[in-house]
Amino acid sequence: MGKPQKDPEGFERKILHQLVDFTNAHVLEVGCGEGRLTFKYAASAKQVIAFDPDHDSLRIARTDLPYDLQKHVHFAGASAKDIPFSKETFDIAILAWSL
Amino acid sequence: MVHALDEIRRTLKPKGVLIDLRPVEENWSVEVSSSVGYQAAGRLNDMPIGLADDEAAFEALREAESRRWFVKEKEEEFAFFYYWDTPSEMKEFMEDEWEDFEKLEESVYQKTKSIWASANADAQVRVRVKMLITLWKEL
Repeated sequence: MGKPQKDPEGFERKILHQLVDFTNAHVLEVGCGEGRLTFKYAASAKQVIAFDPDHDSLRIARTDLPYDLQKHVHFAGASAKDIPFSKETFDIAILAWSL
Repeated sequence: MVHALDEIRRTLKPKGVLIDLRPVEENWSVEVSSSVGYQAAGRLNDMPIGLADDEAAFEALREAESRRWFVKEKEEEFAFFYYWDTPSEMKEFMEDEWEDFEKLEESVYQKTKSIWASANADAQVRVRVKMLITLWKEL
């Protein structure tokens, strides 16, 4: 089955950047899947922790992670029910198609 | 969901920002699109599971707001398109990936095929998904 092309117009990326300034932000992304959304804002952020309970999707996200993002983007297997970080860690949290 | 919102709040710095980005059910439009424009072929039917998921998400956010965890700063709707080269690819995807959420009626599928067959050579089929993005500020 061929995968559909998603949002080639880039509306999602455009509106996300209109609403939030990611510059130097510590970002938590919940439900990152294969990292499709992560890659649209990560270059501006200082650090991104993106997690998802689906390990197959995370494997794809790690494989597709561009070299220039590898130092500050980390994909992890976790769920929002128990976020493995101490309090007051992040400036921005994103529920990425996951609520 | 409410517990997850509480967990997110715990890890956010004071005055941190929560972005809720997700599709919402609204009998999404099926269209044939080409370099000269687009034509609507019909609408998908929302399935009960998808509608229930939407309601649960809105209810969780109302609960978080009532507990004064977050305050809504801004909300916008926008279109997010899925494109396929052919109607049959779209149908196959929907049956595999969206079967619990959306139903493509045979009449809409047949109309999509008919429009696509007579459209420009570069025509694709697409679904216009309604997206909601909401910015919440931690209180």
